[in-house]
Amino acid sequence: MTMPACRVARPKTVEEAVRILADSGPEAMIIAGGTDVVPNLQMKLFTPRVLVDIKPIRALAGITMVAGGALRIGALNTLTEIVDSPLVQSNYPVLVSAVATIAGPLQRNMGTLGGNLCLETRCLWYNQSYFWRKALGGCLKKEGDVCHVAPGGARCWAVWSGDSAPALLTLDAEMEIAGPRGSRRLPLAKFYRNDGIYRVALGRDEMVTAVFLPARTVGRRGLYHKLRIRDSIDYPLAGVAVALEVDRNGVCREARVAVTAVNPAPLLVNEASEWLVGQKYSPELVERVAQAAIRTGKPLTTSASTPVYRRDMLRVFTRRALEEAWKNGRD
Amino acid sequence: MASHSHIGKPLPMTDAPGKVTGLGKYADDLTVTGMLYGKILHSVHPHARIRAIDTSKAEALPGVKAVATGKDAPNPYGILPIGHDERVFALDKARYIGDNVAAVAATSAEIAEAALDLIDVDYEPLPAWFDPLESMQATSNWIHEQKPGNVEKEYHHEFGNPEQAFAESAFIREERYYAGEVTHAAMEPHSTLAIWEPDGRLTVHSSTQVPYYLHRTIAEVCEMPMSQIRIIKPLVGGGFGGKSEVIPLEVAAPVLAKKARRPVKITYTREEVFYAHRGRPITIADLKVGLTREGKINAVAARVVQDGGAYCGYGPVTVLYSGALLGALYDIPNVRYDGYRVLTNKPACGAMRGHGTVNVRFAFESTLDQLAHDAGMDPVEIRRRNLLKAPCITVNGLRVTSYGLPECIEKAAERSGWAEKKGKLPYGRGVGIACSHYVSGAANPIIRSNMPHTTVNIKVDRDAAVTLFTGASEIGQGSDTIQAQIVAEVLGVKMERIKLVAADTDLTPVDLGSYSSRVTFMAGNACLEAAKNIRAQVFAAVAKKSGCDPAVLEARDDFIFSTRDPGLRMNFDEAAVAAIDFHGALVATGTYAPPEEARGGKHKGAGVGPSPSYSYSAQVVELSVDTETGQVRVHRIVAAHDCGKALNPLTVEGQIEGSVYMGLGQALQEEMIWNEGRLMNPSLLEYRTPTTLETPEIESIIVESNDPEGPFGAKEAGEGSLAATIPAVANAIYDAVGVRINSLPITPEKILAALREKEKQRGGKVARSNGGRR
Repeated sequence: MTMPACRVARPKTVEEAVRILADSGPEAMIIAGGTDVVPNLQMKLFTPRVLVDIKPIRALAGITMVAGGALRIGALNTLTEIVDSPLVQSNYPVLVSAVATIAGPLQRNMGTLGGNLCLETRCLWYNQSYFWRKALGGCLKKEGDVCHVAPGGARCWAVWSGDSAPALLTLDAEMEIAGPRGSRRLPLAKFYRNDGIYRVALGRDEMVTAVFLPARTVGRRGLYHKLRIRDSIDYPLAGVAVALEVDRNGVCREARVAVTAVNPAPLLVNEASEWLVGQKYSPELVERVAQAAIRTGKPLTTSASTPVYRRDMLRVFTRRALEEAWKNGRD
Repeated sequence: MASHSHIGKPLPMTDAPGKVTGLGKYADDLTVTGMLYGKILHSVHPHARIRAIDTSKAEALPGVKAVATGKDAPNPYGILPIGHDERVFALDKARYIGDNVAAVAATSAEIAEAALDLIDVDYEPLPAWFDPLESMQATSNWIHEQKPGNVEKEYHHEFGNPEQAFAESAFIREERYYAGEVTHAAMEPHSTLAIWEPDGRLTVHSSTQVPYYLHRTIAEVCEMPMSQIRIIKPLVGGGFGGKSEVIPLEVAAPVLAKKARRPVKITYTREEVFYAHRGRPITIADLKVGLTREGKINAVAARVVQDGGAYCGYGPVTVLYSGALLGALYDIPNVRYDGYRVLTNKPACGAMRGHGTVNVRFAFESTLDQLAHDAGMDPVEIRRRNLLKAPCITVNGLRVTSYGLPECIEKAAERSGWAEKKGKLPYGRGVGIACSHYVSGAANPIIRSNMPHTTVNIKVDRDAAVTLFTGASEIGQGSDTIQAQIVAEVLGVKMERIKLVAADTDLTPVDLGSYSSRVTFMAGNACLEAAKNIRAQVFAAVAKKSGCDPAVLEARDDFIFSTRDPGLRMNFDEAAVAAIDFHGALVATGTYAPPEEARGGKHKGAGVGPSPSYSYSAQVVELSVDTETGQVRVHRIVAAHDCGKALNPLTVEGQIEGSVYMGLGQALQEEMIWNEGRLMNPSLLEYRTPTTLETPEIESIIVESNDPEGPFGAKEAGEGSLAATIPAVANAIYDAVGVRINSLPITPEKILAALREKEKQRGGKVARSNGGRR
């Protein structure tokens, strides 16, 4: 498969990058590690006129503790750098747990956090070659008007398939976004729109520059469970991230549960903190939260495994993740 | 006799340095001046009449040098003489999504791709057939007019008296098994460079396992004499059967090159590899096995339907192998086999590692496990009771010359700790055993003839280099290395002295190809014969020069010496020159053709299955099942394989491990997923071959039965182990959690469904196990 013909721009600063984005309009596209973009270019899912390679922008990389004890992770930090970072390891274990499962080692060496948070949504009927889609006649998301997952519907169900986002949701992360009018902050939970086509709240002339992890979530015990067929390479078929604060008496003081790969967005399970905070561990409580997780997750036939199985596993994995976080992370 | 100097040594492969440094050239690495890039237009319909094709717009695109359609090369071809149903580009009908309709050669790949979009094809869609059981009931819209009812071929065999034997059986099991479709997933996608030479000849570099058949086919399709065509096989990055027949691009590139009068290279995308396919077909096997009270297998009856896809390919051979090897692993006196190869509107299936034997072996070994359970017998013991007594001829006419299966079973059981583990591990963890076997080359060629199956030439010149000219195709399995080892051993020279010229039809004699695990046995025997001839000539010259009897001479470590006279010693360089002076030239030819007695019975379809020799395997798998998720973790596989004699234990172990790995993929996770003839996972992201993380420790045990006819006793090593892995996994899952999955791949979802079904039937909860999850 060939690459579509396009110009590559290599801005040196965020301002320059934003200017190119603003000038080129919908014809521009950002590329960083390229692990998601390049295959999609080869499949002609994207045919940009300008590919904005942001790797030369040095300000976009760096894992640093900022004023007030928050952690700033640059959009260009590779996934491997995050897994290997002592700062992340000691303060935000759920993030390490999740990022370590992304794709395989080669992709983690190339892929960036910003890229993983801006992944294209995935669907078996969409992530296919130009020829394949032509034989199909397209789908709602591209080149057609029928959703093959939910025929008759007007909504695209292509699934959010990132692993880092659910972990960051459990850490109350914020995005730093640069645009023509400067920089803005946005809670990660508001970044995702739960729409397979318009997946993120990012203007055409905007780019993600960093992620902030607040000081108040330092030390939350947590972990990520991922349903996949292979132990490497695979995108998640379902995933759940859990972060808890548990006091000396075993009472939960703060809790987040987020699910991924079962909706067009990574989503927090809203009931989790409400039900868990102030409680001690019990199998019944954990099962109740697991039931809430499968009400939040609505898998459809977008990937290799069936919706029934993915829902089922979401329940099992949520329960296991909560049990492990609660029991293993004892201070 | 002194021990061997090269045979039995774990020598590294001769082509490894080129491969690991990147200096070695695969077909896609080749470029020549003026080379064009070819791209193929594939059908978007699973079944459609082609009313017209307008290529004018594509031809007008700057940079396009040739556009070819079916009219440019209408001659049909196919690997089997009875199955010439393919054309390089569809002439009248497209028969699957991905079928080849036209092709473009242009000055860049981008232009060629753009030109494909400018070709207008006027299709008339036809009703299509996707399900083999439905397809074989078709009364209209047949995929090939000459194949009414969409049945490519059916065979009905009966040996002994199965009906009576079933009536006399104490235990009978009847089960339906399903195996999903799998593909080879060789690392190297197919690639062909066809060079139209200035003198009007054609040179084709291609990723093939079968240069000889490619040579014939290009001659037929391009209407050129074979003498004007040269086929060269560069390094090949894995075949596994996927390159063992002529693949459309191998003909498309020459057709384009001839039309453009320019060199044309076509390299498939991974998706196109899936459409070219030739993998293992969806198989529905209804199996019935009867057992006596003493645990003797009395009879086996099988009805096998294979979903062959849209073209014949190797289909009839696949379905015949399924029958021929079904009953021949053990001593089974009564066998009935009904095999159907069915056409559907999907890519053509073909030969894949363990050709035809794998899915029926899954069925048989799973059933045998159940019968052992019914009879209250240990699965190892039941296999012990049903061994052949070699040498012998099986009930269906297969000649067995050596039979290391008993030793394979004993060693696999012993090294896996079978006796301590079977039925004794905690719930959720289990062990399973299964066996398999495979041919060491087919005793009958694809095209009936009396020509040798392989010929090699050796030339030694005054530089004392030993050049072996062999048609055998190195595809990563180690054929070059093994042949060099055999020649070095016989001549008593160092490996470095052997130069190999392989698989180049202008230079090397005919070898039928690298399929059915034939090369070590057949080309090996030819090398042995040629090298012995050279050695005799050298000894004659040395004897003459030193006035001794040639019978006292031996060769080793680059010296010829006398066993009687310690003073008589001549280095190989001197001896070679002496031999050239004495004989005028130092050349020899070796050939191999299977003996008449090995060629099988006389019934219809008897030609497939016979081999000069068979390999044997026994494997024990230990695994855990997570009963909440259905996920399986394989801990260890002990694989014992009888390869006759391990000429190179390093490469034999590599082949055993590779076979086990592939079997494991088919057992647990690999499957081509279809939706109305559309392949939903035509990529290595979504078609999930195992990674190193799911691949357990594999302990390979080499069993040497020393075949009387194999070179130095050697026989097959590259395929036979695969088929045992799958049922060993299925049997271990049964041992672990008590459910039997008769459908491949054995996904977590299937296991979970079976566990819940069992729970429901018991009306209560079954024990939970997380499968030893960390």
